[in-house]
Amino acid sequence: MEYPDTVGKLTEILRQGGYLADRGLATALFVALSLERPILLEGEVGVGKTEVAKVLASVFGRKLIRLQCYEGIDTNQALYEWDYARQMLHIRALSEHQIADDEAVDKLFGPRFLLERPLLEAVRAGDQAVLLIDEVDRADDEFEAFLLEVLSDFQISIPEIGTIKAETPPLVVLTSNRTRELHDALKRRCLYHWIGYPPAERELEIVLIRAPGVSETLARKVVAAVHRLRELDLAKPPGVAETIDWARTLDFLGETDLGTGVAGDTLGAVVKERDDLDLVRENLEEITSGA
Amino acid sequence: MPEHAPFVSVLVSFASELRSAGLAVGSGDVLTYCAAMAPLDPTDLLDLYWAGRATLVTRREAIAVYDEVFRRFFLAAGDPVRAMLTLKVEVTAETQAMLEVPATDPDSGGRTEEAMLGLMASNAEVLKHKSFAACTPEELAALRRIMARIRLTPPKRRTRRTAASRSGRAPDLRRTVRESLRMHGEPAELYWRRRQVRLRPLILILDVSGSMSDYSRHLLQFAYSAKRAAAKVEVFCFGTRLTRVTRALEHRRPDAALELAAQAVFDWEGGTRIGDSLDAFVRDWGRRGLCRGGIVVICSDGLDRGDPAVLATAMERLARLSHRVVWMNPHKGDNQDFRPSALGMMVAAPHIDLTLSGHNLSSLAELAALLPTLN
Repeated sequence: MEYPDTVGKLTEILRQGGYLADRGLATALFVALSLERPILLEGEVGVGKTEVAKVLASVFGRKLIRLQCYEGIDTNQALYEWDYARQMLHIRALSEHQIADDEAVDKLFGPRFLLERPLLEAVRAGDQAVLLIDEVDRADDEFEAFLLEVLSDFQISIPEIGTIKAETPPLVVLTSNRTRELHDALKRRCLYHWIGYPPAERELEIVLIRAPGVSETLARKVVAAVHRLRELDLAKPPGVAETIDWARTLDFLGETDLGTGVAGDTLGAVVKERDDLDLVRENLEEITSGA
Repeated sequence: MPEHAPFVSVLVSFASELRSAGLAVGSGDVLTYCAAMAPLDPTDLLDLYWAGRATLVTRREAIAVYDEVFRRFFLAAGDPVRAMLTLKVEVTAETQAMLEVPATDPDSGGRTEEAMLGLMASNAEVLKHKSFAACTPEELAALRRIMARIRLTPPKRRTRRTAASRSGRAPDLRRTVRESLRMHGEPAELYWRRRQVRLRPLILILDVSGSMSDYSRHLLQFAYSAKRAAAKVEVFCFGTRLTRVTRALEHRRPDAALELAAQAVFDWEGGTRIGDSLDAFVRDWGRRGLCRGGIVVICSDGLDRGDPAVLATAMERLARLSHRVVWMNPHKGDNQDFRPSALGMMVAAPHIDLTLSGHNLSSLAELAALLPTLN
């Protein structure tokens, strides 16, 4: 699918995919698409950072390749790995048949024995893929160095084979929860966008799009209540994902209004910390009132 | 594109304006900005704003500075009283949007504090046990030089990352296959990988309030040397509010680093709100994982003006988030049977793994000696 040529069209396409991007995010994504640059998304938990990549993949009909980062992730899990078991068997077969020419040995480190991991897969797929490098801050900082070559040149160097380069670069989305500061070298290669909490009107729209069964009155009350929760001094303020969860939970229970009683029973969908629960329960009356 | 030339020069001078406001904007970033504007509408303020933010800003803290410069440069609004500047822009495209550039906090400039440093030789042995509060400036300078030599080694932990080793749990297949090729395909020897060990992060939280003023400067100096000695150190200062000074302390010259740090800290020698400051730390940094698995060292006398309940909850959370909590209280001095009299100390006590004094050089050396054993 061709890329849209204005920010407005991109916003519209994303909306059809079920994602409401504000002007800032849409512009950042538009620039990332037209300049073929990776984009680094940071923001509070549950504001839809990962979702951006999923929606981009689905609206442009591309394959989503996801690399979930974790501590200790290394080249074997992120770039490529040799299929050692098959290599061993192949070596045995070669020696049994007394074949030891160069060609046979070359084959041993050829494409047949190379296992693709997400980054290599994305480079090979080129513009047929959206590469999501999720929660890159969870990986230790050594790992960022592996990413540099991929992100700047969309190529991977494998000593035994050579350099594999993407014909046309994939769209790359990185997300980070800011548990640690990322290296400048990594940031330099990316566009940057901070996703904040949406204003109430937009959040209402998001809830209605993501949870279509929920009535507007209920959704409006839930959004208003969540916004009040965010004003409270919570250790972990609820994200948009929690708003949607809460609306769905209430809808599933057949509620059409957010009363104090039912709000108290379903608080587990939005508030996920004991100290916060105590604080919210004290102010429950005020949170659910009005809207 | 000659017809774009005047426009490009506007973007370039905007970038240099950002640079002089302290943002790290390289020429590469400016090129990206200009390239980003090419498919967009340069007369649309929204496009100008968001494309610039995506290409020239690389961290959240810089957004405020960017907003401020953008407002000054493109909107020519220098009036600080207007809290929020809202501008409605005619948009040709389908999207209607408001450009809101939030006003920045005018107080965030901070106070300048001079970092003092003199150089005179002195007798190190005598100094070692003299309280910082009783030292002359010359003696303090000598102490600082000794302090710079204290090496801090936080305890180690095993990571998920593996490295080749002589023996281990997991076989190193890559190496085994490679080596077996030499032996004509005979896997003669099995090679191993083993999980690596790494230093735990060290987090220093220093009280710089009035009641600690005799000690805080030296603690900052200590933090500077600690930052240079150990692998991963984060440094925060607090009085009534928390400031992160890690970045400031990264400067190579100690004088400049300390001066930068002193400038970053807003409330030197003011009141103390330990509870609120630690709470802010837990909220803004701790929860995001900064101190997870780390050693947190708090230097304070525990004289809290705030609500003790806030301190208690903050300490409890901090203890849960981190590996060990060490509290250095200079008022403890050399007294082994010290019982904390400050309410703050008593409230915090159940969550502290180790209490030290930190009032003189030998007690700082004691911390350095005890640190590796805190596993």
